[in-house]
Amino acid sequence: MLSFMLKRIAQLIPVFIGATLLVYFLVFATPGNPIDALSGGKPMSDATRSALEAQYNLDKPFWVQYGLYLKNLVTFDLGTSFSGQEVSALLGRAFPVTARLAILALLIEGVFGVIFGVIAGMRKGKWFDSTILVASLIVIAVPTFVLGFVLQFVIGVKLEWVKPTVSGAATWGELFLPALVLGLVSLAYVVRLTRTSVIENKSADFVRTATAKGLSRNRVVSVHILRNSLIPVVTFLGADLGSLMGGAIVTEGIFNVPGVGHLLYQAIQKGETPTVVAIVGVLVIIFVVANLIVDMLYALLDPRIRYA
Amino acid sequence: MPENQNFNPEDGLPISKVRAGKVSKYKIEHFVAPLDETPLQAVDSVKETGKPLSMWAEAWRSLRKQPLFIISAVLILAVIVVAAFPQLFSSQDPTYCALENSNEPGRAGHIMGFNLQGCDIYARVIYGTRASLLVGIFTTLIVVVVGGALGALAGFYGGWIDAILARLGDIFFALPLILGAIIVMQLPAFRDNRSVWTVIVTLAIFGWPQLARITRGAVIEARDADYVKASRALGLSRFHSLVKHVIPNSLAPIIVVATVNLGVYIVAEATLSFLGVGLPPDVMSWGNDISLAQQQLRSNPMMLMWPALFLSVTVLSFIMLGDAVRDALDPKARKGA
Amino acid sequence: MRYSHASKAVVLSAALALTLSACGGGSTDSAGGEGDGSYVVTANTTEPQNGLLPANTNEVGGGRVMDLLFTGLVSYDAKGAPVNELAESIETTDSQNYTIKIKSGETFSDGSPVTAASFVDAWNFGAAAKNAQLNSYFFESIKGFDKVNAEKSTEDKMEGLKVVDDTTFTVELSQPESDFPLRLGYTAFMPLPEAAFEDPKAFGEKPVGNGPYKLTEWNHDVNLKMDVNENYDGPRKAANGGIDFKVYQSTDSAYQDLVSGNLDVLDQIPPSQLASYQSDLGDRSVNSPYAGNATITIPGYLDHFKQDEEGNLRRAAISRAIDRQLIIDKVYQGGKVIAKDFTAPVIEGYDDSLPGSEVLAFDADEAKKLWAEADKISEWDSGDEFSIGYNVDGAGNKEYVEAVVNQLKNNLGINATAKSFSSFKELRAKVTSYTMTGGFRTGWQADYPSLYNFLGPLFGTGAGSNDGKYSSKEFDDALAKGLAATDAAEGAKIFNQAQEILFKDLPAIPLWYQAVQGGWSENVSNVEFGWNGVPIYNEITGK
Repeated sequence: MLSFMLKRIAQLIPVFIGATLLVYFLVFATPGNPIDALSGGKPMSDATRSALEAQYNLDKPFWVQYGLYLKNLVTFDLGTSFSGQEVSALLGRAFPVTARLAILALLIEGVFGVIFGVIAGMRKGKWFDSTILVASLIVIAVPTFVLGFVLQFVIGVKLEWVKPTVSGAATWGELFLPALVLGLVSLAYVVRLTRTSVIENKSADFVRTATAKGLSRNRVVSVHILRNSLIPVVTFLGADLGSLMGGAIVTEGIFNVPGVGHLLYQAIQKGETPTVVAIVGVLVIIFVVANLIVDMLYALLDPRIRYA
Repeated sequence: MPENQNFNPEDGLPISKVRAGKVSKYKIEHFVAPLDETPLQAVDSVKETGKPLSMWAEAWRSLRKQPLFIISAVLILAVIVVAAFPQLFSSQDPTYCALENSNEPGRAGHIMGFNLQGCDIYARVIYGTRASLLVGIFTTLIVVVVGGALGALAGFYGGWIDAILARLGDIFFALPLILGAIIVMQLPAFRDNRSVWTVIVTLAIFGWPQLARITRGAVIEARDADYVKASRALGLSRFHSLVKHVIPNSLAPIIVVATVNLGVYIVAEATLSFLGVGLPPDVMSWGNDISLAQQQLRSNPMMLMWPALFLSVTVLSFIMLGDAVRDALDPKARKGA
Repeated sequence: MRYSHASKAVVLSAALALTLSACGGGSTDSAGGEGDGSYVVTANTTEPQNGLLPANTNEVGGGRVMDLLFTGLVSYDAKGAPVNELAESIETTDSQNYTIKIKSGETFSDGSPVTAASFVDAWNFGAAAKNAQLNSYFFESIKGFDKVNAEKSTEDKMEGLKVVDDTTFTVELSQPESDFPLRLGYTAFMPLPEAAFEDPKAFGEKPVGNGPYKLTEWNHDVNLKMDVNENYDGPRKAANGGIDFKVYQSTDSAYQDLVSGNLDVLDQIPPSQLASYQSDLGDRSVNSPYAGNATITIPGYLDHFKQDEEGNLRRAAISRAIDRQLIIDKVYQGGKVIAKDFTAPVIEGYDDSLPGSEVLAFDADEAKKLWAEADKISEWDSGDEFSIGYNVDGAGNKEYVEAVVNQLKNNLGINATAKSFSSFKELRAKVTSYTMTGGFRTGWQADYPSLYNFLGPLFGTGAGSNDGKYSSKEFDDALAKGLAATDAAEGAKIFNQAQEILFKDLPAIPLWYQAVQGGWSENVSNVEFGWNGVPIYNEITGK
């Protein structure tokens, strides 16, 4: 098991280099010159322009730029943004906020998704199942920005239960509503995955055996059916964690959460390579680690699964 | 009905060690526990080597009798007809937009009213069906085929194949869709021929890792099942047991994710349009109209409601179809029904 | 990959970096009004894009902070007229050589004195190419600019600037420019204390200024807290106890905070609320025009749109085929003012009925006629496409460009399309390399309140923002003449005559003047917006 984990962690190195190289190239290849975004369409003399290009290494060929980036990376220098801030400081502020948001969203998805999914699965075709289906359809067909806007308006502005936007501190309590909005689409996936697995497993032999042995219905559902139904759910959640962290652009915008999504979007639009690359680099690490955890959970949920 | 339970040799073993549910799912189980079936069928299975055929055939036999399947099939057919012949359903020109009609409510000939630009909402929804359906179905298909195949290989063979494919997936996962889509759409082949297909390919490029991951998990779960071991013991090659036994037993989560994805892709197309790299401006789509509705949410909620409703019905019919197919593939559920 | 349902809720101000300077309020007596003078006002802003150095701040987020933080020789009142701040006098006899005297005894908030050298050093720093300041082009009129702002130049002293004594310096321009004193209220011309030049980057994080406020805290992406600067004694004295700028990613979220009382002042109602803000806010809102406009540029290098008779006819036809008022009413809910010229109405010298301006009036029949006349010169193939480009990362661009395109389709019967670009920088890259294949959206925000600022940088031959490659000897001569005029009113008259040439050639098609829709909470009063659309923060009081 330990060697399996070490092997996976060792894989991080090529993955990290591959991802940063790819992203560095993608930002390099985006159309337009970052200096145009900086100047905002106002005139700029050629001399000022070339001084700026030199300052951000934009005047050098791609391989030189990337080489310089890697060289600085070794000394933990992630570069500076156009606004003159250390990228490491930007990440240090944004990632904890987004991490809280993503973890909350993941918890909401996981807990409610599994509970709703189990009930829907156990009572297939009954009213609860149908209600959940309709709710899932709404979540899928009505985009996040609309749902987020409506929830913010109703709960934040009309009912005044919470403030409509998140403060700079972005506490767990403030992030609950944004996390709910962020997790809704994934919640639909989790409900349907759980429901299907439960339906598949509830008529399985081991369930009948357990029931026949006289175990209580609760125990049969929670231990025997649920445990055997969780592999697809865990897989989905593991893959979703990273998406939640990088893809929260819309939710962060609605609730003014000072997180990674906003930072990433702005950096892409401005062509601010060091920021984009650093964010993606961290995201890749999160993905690899999340998948490692998921694989560990497989073995826990199904002891037949073994890792060398 | 539950006779196989009584004869199952594994009955009574600690449940945590045995996924008996998987064992009894398909005909092939009979290699392991031939006692529980009628002799005729057992003999049939032994004679043929292409067992899955009979599984699919049986699934189809049960499927076509299911009301869920019939309803969903009719709905999907209806949507396809609308997509193919929109002019049969609307006499209005969806590209004629006069600002004088901006946000006007419905009236004769324009039952759903007008959007901000003064275009007929109903006509746009009808004519938007084609692009949306193409994006939804084909993106899902490509993602299922590519992601499913790579995920199955990674999960089944493990080792370095898994390491490479899974890590490749990690990299793609971490790439922001925004950045990737902008770049992909700049490739000359894409930039100069912007169409539904470029959108499909772009979405698929960034969509496959998710399904690969789901498939990989399901395959890992199924690959160590006893019926797989048994099939190997009976001399089936690894690849054959993957295709014939492991994949059919891993389909349920794939179907679920794929059917939900269908709707998500249709909406995601709007994301690309929002980024300026989506469908060409003269092609209508639900996703685009839904995204346009955002600004008008308070003044003209109809702009959101109609395309969202059509989208919901389409997704609903595919989810029902998915459920029906899954039920049909699961012999226990079939017997229980 | 999970797709986010991305939307226009994500509004970028970054890509639309606007050059604005907050203005000075004229009346100091409002400070003594009945309001609560110790109330700390919360207001929306965007994260400043650069360190807070005067010559490096060229967008609204940083601009509004800088203008409270610093005070220059002059500031602008609500109407855009310059008011002396630190300037004792600005004198010239030939519009080319200026002698500037500043008030003595003024200090920065850290106690260091404001002298003539504070200005000269700051301007030299801003102009030198080696410092790579975004606003360096503001100093291009000063003699010696071309030397310090040459490629790889290490010089940083312009010969046109000379310190005479502690309170006097002289400026020599390379040519007569009568509106030079008007520019001196712009952020780029603010003075800097000596400490700034030792480590400009560190100074940009913790700037020390001489304006009505001082910056006490800057939590990036969250807020900027400004305290009253007790040392300040000018026309813009604070009537409140400080300003807490909250950073918002979108005006949509700021609006929800405003409605629920968590924000005091919002300087821009989001497009999604334009139809309802008046009922939400009642008399706590304002719709006031400011010095900016929106235009469509159809570059003269396109086939059929060359700077010749055919091109002029086609551009005029397109201009007359656009029902501007209808778009303002339907798309903006009345939140813009129909354009009558190339400048903006809040500018001194503005004239709404210049000869030739009827080409901006909607007339579908006339439009068809003009188009048909152009067809006689060279046939427009019915399969030809006419596109208007826009960047999707600016809120509302898509809506108005599509509305214009639909009107061209309906009124001219041509195949018009709206062409989207993924970002401002992508659009600008195409525009500045002169490789556009159609028209595109343009617009201008005044840097300082002057007609010339709307004309020279945009339509002068070879000018920095001349996106359509327009070139007219006649127009250039008129501009030079206007600049050389010693009297501002006389200059304005000549600039307006220059505009008559533009009406014939239409290097850009004016659509409308910008107006700001702002709102405020029940906690504050006395909220007014200046000539440039920025709230006059120092005059706001608590209730």
